[in-house]
Amino acid sequence: TKNNSSGDQTTQLLSRPRLQELVREVDPTVQLDEEVEEMLLQLADDFIDTSLNAACSLAKHRHAPSVELRDVQLHLERQWNMWIPGFGNDELRP
Amino acid sequence: GTQIRSIKDEFLVPMGVMQSRIKAITNKHGLEDASMDVASLICHAVHERLKTMVEKLAVIAQQRGDLLIKG
Repeated sequence: TKNNSSGDQTTQLLSRPRLQELVREVDPTVQLDEEVEEMLLQLADDFIDTSLNAACSLAKHRHAPSVELRDVQLHLERQWNMWIPGFGNDELRP
Repeated sequence: GTQIRSIKDEFLVPMGVMQSRIKAITNKHGLEDASMDVASLICHAVHERLKTMVEKLAVIAQQRGDLLIKG
């Protein structure tokens, strides 16, 4: 267990073998130092936490009872200029 | 027809773990549980974020290597 940015005691979401698999997918010649792997695992955790917290704030702003896809999509697009295809309202996209 | 979902549905983070994290955070904000789609979207997004980061690191490491050879 470890302390994440929100201060909760939680298990890490992403495993080291799964990260190594992703790295091989991107570039089979890349080798990561252990510290770099650790940093990327932490980065993934922080990304998930901040995205979820932002989506919660947006849902509350809408006076909605729960987080919906559009809350997460809005955050990802505004913060990261990221659009993940295949989640329902692609027809709204150019 | 058009392919709607082009990203493979093999998740970087196990769905159960992701859903319990989502539940913890949404409940902290006093919100109800989110749908499965939210977990799936976050999984794809973190995949994209890490992929971009690793690609950048690979380029930087390559350039550093080139400089060492030249130096």
